[in-house]
Amino acid sequence: MTESISLYIERVIEFSPRLIESLWETGIMLFFAMIAAILLGIPVGTLLYLTADTRPMANRFLNRLLNILVNIIRSFPFLLLVVAMQPFIRQVYGRATGDPIAASFPMVVIAIALYARFVEQSLMEVPRGITETAQSMGATNWQLVWKFLYVEARSSLVIGFTTAVISFVSYSTIMGVVGGGGIGDFAIRYGYQRYETDIMYTAIVLIIILVEIFQWLGLKLAKRIDKR
Amino acid sequence: MIKLQHIEKTFYSKQTEFTALSNINLSIESGESFGVIGESGAGKSTLLRMINALESPDKGSVSVDDVNLTQLSKKKLRLQQKQIGMIFQQFNLLNNKTVADNVRLPLTLHKYPNALTVDEVLDFVGLADKKNNYPQELSGGQKQRVGIARALITRPKLLLCDEPTSALDQNTTEEIVEVLKKAHEEFKMTIVVVTHELLVIKALCQRAALMEQGQIRQIVQVNRCESKEIVVPYLERAIEVLTHD
Repeated sequence: MTESISLYIERVIEFSPRLIESLWETGIMLFFAMIAAILLGIPVGTLLYLTADTRPMANRFLNRLLNILVNIIRSFPFLLLVVAMQPFIRQVYGRATGDPIAASFPMVVIAIALYARFVEQSLMEVPRGITETAQSMGATNWQLVWKFLYVEARSSLVIGFTTAVISFVSYSTIMGVVGGGGIGDFAIRYGYQRYETDIMYTAIVLIIILVEIFQWLGLKLAKRIDKR
Repeated sequence: MIKLQHIEKTFYSKQTEFTALSNINLSIESGESFGVIGESGAGKSTLLRMINALESPDKGSVSVDDVNLTQLSKKKLRLQQKQIGMIFQQFNLLNNKTVADNVRLPLTLHKYPNALTVDEVLDFVGLADKKNNYPQELSGGQKQRVGIARALITRPKLLLCDEPTSALDQNTTEEIVEVLKKAHEEFKMTIVVVTHELLVIKALCQRAALMEQGQIRQIVQVNRCESKEIVVPYLERAIEVLTHD
């Protein structure tokens, strides 16, 4: 028993440089996806909310357009999105395979679409009376969004972000197909293709721990900022 | 002075249409305390919301101090709205902000040269000690006081009250009415109160419009009960109502 444990530890140590490298690659992909979700997903989601019928910036054309775009991206099987974006990535970035930054492009696209939906839903939960109050005070749409809607929706926005990031982890495991690397790719290469089952399970456990940490942090923060 | 002339308003939903206001003509003097009363669906809230342009009429015109709200650009309209305070049935406080931050909120949207301070208004409504609490920690009556403080901090020339006491029990209602009365005496603004509670109008208003099915049926002079009723504690009142004929 102790022998097999020490054997296992030895193997983990042996694989640890590659394990750490793949965690780093996952980190790069998640980083770009998170930045995109915040910088673009939030504005797109807010526009989805504001441009719907009876809302302050009601605009049927823009609302339809955004809805269709978000739906198309989200209904794409992710693997096909990755493949379909290859020519575009090659144009913009020079290469489409073999590094985590190239692999981040499809991650960014799905991150924006996914989080935009969460943002829209969070804003829908804010009581209508809040918007009315802002308007009765003569607030601009910008003030309505920043001083009223985001304030009341903030913990829901954080919980949505947490859920989105956990999906990003899952999406990132596919990126091995285009040589993007990452912890998921590591698990597939060693576990599935080389039958190093113990190493595969180690990688999977690491992914689970990663998800647990995100979930825990997200909920903790959401609770702390929720005074409702 | 508030002037509504020949107002028509119809709401359309998928199959039905609903006439909310029809041929409304009304003028309310500056400094007056005016009530609008009627059953639910009579159109009183829609009428109130015309006065600060939360709703716009299909036909007719709304003017406040000779400014026709129906013809203003969005920017100019906001400058009008900033001078009008409003309180709501559901209080509409931001639950993620403290009492003080809620009250201060209007001052962060526009410049108000003559604004009161947060401490002054909280003192006025009797909530100085709740400054750093969150709305969740307050009772309904206290929440409405915060709503009133938030409306008063800008020293509005006009205060609109949309069912201000309808979410409150009777004793709390009397407290809120007293606060509004005191505000009217102190700041001398015009007050328009919409409610289905007759006693609120009776205690607070000089004139009242009676509404039914989107029309004003009559405007009456209110015989105010000036003698301040002493607020009877809830349990005493309950015993009185339940055990007497």
